[in-house]
Amino acid sequence: MIGLTHYLILAALLFSIGLLGAIAKRNAISVFMGIELMLNSVNINFVAFNHFLHPQFLAGQAFAIFVIVVAAAEVSVGLAIILALYRRRANTGVDELDLLKW
Amino acid sequence: MNEAVLLCLIPALPLVGFLLTGLLGKKLGRGLSSWIGTLTVAASFGLALTLFIAHPDGFAASGLGIQLFDWIPAAGLTIAFGLMLDPLSLIMTLVITGIGFLIHLYSIGYMKHDEGAPRFFSFLNLFVFSMLLLVLADNYALMFVGWEGVGLCSYLLIGFWFTKDEYNAAAVKAFVMNRIGDLGFLLGLFVMVATFGSLSFGEVFAKAGAMEAGAPALTLITLMLFVGAVGKSAQIPLYTWLPDAMAGPTPVSALIHAATMVTAGIYMVIRSHVLYDLAPIALTVISVVGLATAIWAGLIALSQRDIKKVLAYSTVSQLGFMFLTLGVGAYSTGYFHVFTHAFFKALLFLAAGSVIHALSGEQDIRKMGGLAKKLPITYITFLVGTLAISGIPPFAGFFSKDAILAAVYARSPLLWGLSIFAAFLTAFYMGRLFILVFHSKDRTTKGVHPHESPWTMTVPLIVLALGSTAAGFLGMPAVFGVPDWMAGFLAPSAGEYAVGLEEGTEWLLMGISTVVVLCGFIFAVLKYGPGKVVPTEDKKTRGPVRWSLRKFRVDEFYDALIVKPLFALSSWLFGTANDRGIDGVVRGTAGLVAWVGGRVRLLQTGNIVFYLFAMTLGVIVIAAVAALG
Amino acid sequence: MDFSTLTLEIGAAALALILLVVGLFLPDGKKGQVGIVAALGFAFLLVLSFLAPGSKGPFFMGQYMNDGISVLFKQIFILGSLLVTLMSLRFTRRFEDARGEFYVLLAFSLVGMMGMAGATDFLTLYIALELMSIPLVVLTAFEKGSMRSTEAGMKYVLLGAMSSAILLFGLSFLYGAAGSFGYGAVMAALTGGQTGPLVVIGGIFALAGLAFKVAAVPFHMWSPDIYEGAPVPVTAFLAVASKAAGFAALLRFFPVVLVPLGLGMTTLIVLIAALSMVLGNLTAIPQTNIKRMLAWSSIAHAGYMLLGVMVASFAGAAALVYYLLVYLFANVGAFAAVTAWSELSGSDEISSFKGMWKKSPLISTVFIVSLLSLAGIPPAAGFIGKFFLFVEVAHKGYLWLVALALVMSVVSLYYYVSVIKTLVSEAPEGETSKADIPLALRAVMLVSAVSTVVLGVLPGPVMGYIRNILSTLSS
Repeated sequence: MIGLTHYLILAALLFSIGLLGAIAKRNAISVFMGIELMLNSVNINFVAFNHFLHPQFLAGQAFAIFVIVVAAAEVSVGLAIILALYRRRANTGVDELDLLKW
Repeated sequence: MNEAVLLCLIPALPLVGFLLTGLLGKKLGRGLSSWIGTLTVAASFGLALTLFIAHPDGFAASGLGIQLFDWIPAAGLTIAFGLMLDPLSLIMTLVITGIGFLIHLYSIGYMKHDEGAPRFFSFLNLFVFSMLLLVLADNYALMFVGWEGVGLCSYLLIGFWFTKDEYNAAAVKAFVMNRIGDLGFLLGLFVMVATFGSLSFGEVFAKAGAMEAGAPALTLITLMLFVGAVGKSAQIPLYTWLPDAMAGPTPVSALIHAATMVTAGIYMVIRSHVLYDLAPIALTVISVVGLATAIWAGLIALSQRDIKKVLAYSTVSQLGFMFLTLGVGAYSTGYFHVFTHAFFKALLFLAAGSVIHALSGEQDIRKMGGLAKKLPITYITFLVGTLAISGIPPFAGFFSKDAILAAVYARSPLLWGLSIFAAFLTAFYMGRLFILVFHSKDRTTKGVHPHESPWTMTVPLIVLALGSTAAGFLGMPAVFGVPDWMAGFLAPSAGEYAVGLEEGTEWLLMGISTVVVLCGFIFAVLKYGPGKVVPTEDKKTRGPVRWSLRKFRVDEFYDALIVKPLFALSSWLFGTANDRGIDGVVRGTAGLVAWVGGRVRLLQTGNIVFYLFAMTLGVIVIAAVAALG
Repeated sequence: MDFSTLTLEIGAAALALILLVVGLFLPDGKKGQVGIVAALGFAFLLVLSFLAPGSKGPFFMGQYMNDGISVLFKQIFILGSLLVTLMSLRFTRRFEDARGEFYVLLAFSLVGMMGMAGATDFLTLYIALELMSIPLVVLTAFEKGSMRSTEAGMKYVLLGAMSSAILLFGLSFLYGAAGSFGYGAVMAALTGGQTGPLVVIGGIFALAGLAFKVAAVPFHMWSPDIYEGAPVPVTAFLAVASKAAGFAALLRFFPVVLVPLGLGMTTLIVLIAALSMVLGNLTAIPQTNIKRMLAWSSIAHAGYMLLGVMVASFAGAAALVYYLLVYLFANVGAFAAVTAWSELSGSDEISSFKGMWKKSPLISTVFIVSLLSLAGIPPAAGFIGKFFLFVEVAHKGYLWLVALALVMSVVSLYYYVSVIKTLVSEAPEGETSKADIPLALRAVMLVSAVSTVVLGVLPGPVMGYIRNILSTLSS
């Protein structure tokens, strides 16, 4: 029987994988994808907690939908900036952005 | 008029002067704004004098207080914007406004040709306002505002000719060093809040009175406050800013760095004497620091070549005397020296300014000499100042210094021996300065035609000279059979104090100190008098061999035994100990802080991926702390 | 439901939409007039916030709250938006036809901030936080032609998204333990029962996410880069309004949700505050760019203000609000001076300030007053602000923390005074173009400097107002 613990472990794994992706990748789009994974792990948490522990309201599931929507907004802004960056530099590597430092 | 209103007007008038000259300075023009600045201070002096005449006991009974409004309403600690007049603050107010007025008057002539005069006067007025706030405040928080305000004004006024880099550096140094002291002061205030739950004088003293002598909290508070005083009053180790501050205009040096601001630390200790009486450790620290500073700075003054620097080190040294006196518990005696010192030190600075003015800005005493005839008024007044500060009877310094020495002797003959050495040094370096500037051979640069200063500059000199002569009679020792007015007047604020020496001992001490001081002065005259060594040779005192090549007849003996070691010590103190020691530590600390900043900054690599990583690390670290803590 | 609770939020949202429409109808080249409408709108909202702050109480079944804290914070946000708008009226010329959107984004961000001050529920908090941040990202990257601006936007969006993810991950655990998103319900569920490790981890993640918004160490790394890269008025907005919003959220979140988790949370916030003070002040010293220096200084100030959050009392909240107000005027004054000066000299490097005093005494005076306030020198308001805060910390028994804060504020003097020193020193070569400062910018500078002095000399009335609002509107 698959229970809450399994979901939580899945979410934690997904969060870690996303985090690793965000830290290890050099490409802005890949970093974004990593962060998306982290947000999805949050969604799993919300939905799983909702389903197993607090089924009386659908609050957790509603939250997950909000997260998806807001993340989409965030990514659209991010992609726009990546585009602006690409126009000037013809590459999207984040580790070459170091005009601003120290 | 209601006396409380008069009390409020005393600080308010200079504030008005500041606003008028500061905001409308350009429209008013140089002449008018100078006079506005001067007259507002004069009016404050008039008001203070009126109050004093109406109450010759200085409101001894309960003080004159007024609380204007609730100033800082912190929860459980409401601090009123309150002013208070008692004997101590009254006499302080008289000194500040009286001498302040004379210095303003003097500045009219001094700043005549400077286009920045309106700004100068506005800052000067702001200074007088802050200083009055400092002494009239009825709680520590308001006192701190004045305390900080005078520091700020000193910064603004030293950097007055701020386009010059050297001045700017001196201004910043004065400001930062003062802030180190202020840090101590503030820490003391917060400990006070935590201990007494109040910052108003009345409440704090009442609650402290109920505490046991030597309680750790009291010792901590008093030591912290003393750190503030060390910064403001230029004691070891935070004294090096004061000589550097001489880069500012001379009237500023006279007002801020001699007569008033630097005595704020002493005022604060006397004001808090209830606390200090209960903290014997703090008193011991004060007397040690004071004595060390008196000797140390006196030694350095011996070999200085800039007329203002000699006076600056002499100020540091005199402040040391005052702290020494406070340290032995003779608060009113210490204040008496503040009082007389204000006259003669302001006089000396203004006279020095007159000399500098006459020589078109020359400050090096090796390029002076023989000015006695060319600047007669300056000459005579400077002589009065020199005799007064050296402690030669019957001038003011004699009485105050004698009272100090007696008080110190009553505590410990050893301390007395060291202090009399410091007094000897004072007479010696002042004698040297006096002879080199006014007698000895004329060494002024060719083409400079010394001329006596205008009346706005000489009148203050004359008034201050009269004060330097007469101020001492206010605090005659008991053996003269005249009541000691000063001690009696201050007793309600500063506590009773009696030396408690036998009459014979007191006469003896007085005799010894007079002889020692005269010796110091005569040494200087012999050494630098007409026909003696040309002062440019001061330099050679650094090389003992070259020194001994000089031919002196009787001089050789005391040169080898006294003067040479003293000068060598003086050079060492000024050079090595000052530059590498104290300044070095301050600079080193600042440098270390900046260096650490420069290293830490490198963490900010500019790389997003690194930032993401650092954020993750941050979460892990705080999680670990939470798990462990 | 009584929608008058949301008077100010509705007003701000309506203003944002109106600005959007006005911008559409203005012809090209006249888009700058949106700024004037925006300024009028913000001014109207500010007046409204005093006259009709909305009826008190919870709303939307406890998801939202209008009480003393939120009214005061909303007033700070509106004031910040108004001053920043006035400051940027001329500045935005460089954005050409995108000028209108600049103000629209500012207004939307304001709505988000208001939400953060009112949120008493995880969901509201999250939405409000993103509503504030996303327009700020766009504003940061608004200078399309500038590589620095784009880079700053990139950094902001990536780090911001990551911090959101961390915050949400934490919130999800708190939800799991409490079964509700409402702060009150969470507190009720957590205080009585056991707090397992997952809940503590949830609390830590949530704290980290909010600490990011106020730029506290070790979650500060975004702010210096973004402050430097963003256009000056946006930097001012970030430093002032966005930081205040972070504190508004923390002020609600910390005592209600985090403190019940255990004593460790107070230790953590003390640690974060101490680190911020030390690192912020030390790193500010070697900076050569004024925006970057002010960024580090604002990290240090976040450290001081966190002490107010840590105190977690009525008096602490009042002191924090007062400090934020003082900090707002000081920062707006400083950034307005930088804006005015960079229009004159074309540079925001500290070394370019030489000769400022000769060229423009107005800019210099405002600058000096603001810096002294940031340094905490009386009579500038910074001193009183610090005094209020530190007294509360001392009452709480953390004397060593007060000592550390005081030592650090002496260190901070080092860099503030060296800026003052630079600006009063002689210009290298005297090219004397007359200072031409737009009227609105001049007004902003004067208002900031005068307010800084008044708040320093006469803190009573404003503090009284803050106390009054806090106590009458608190539930």
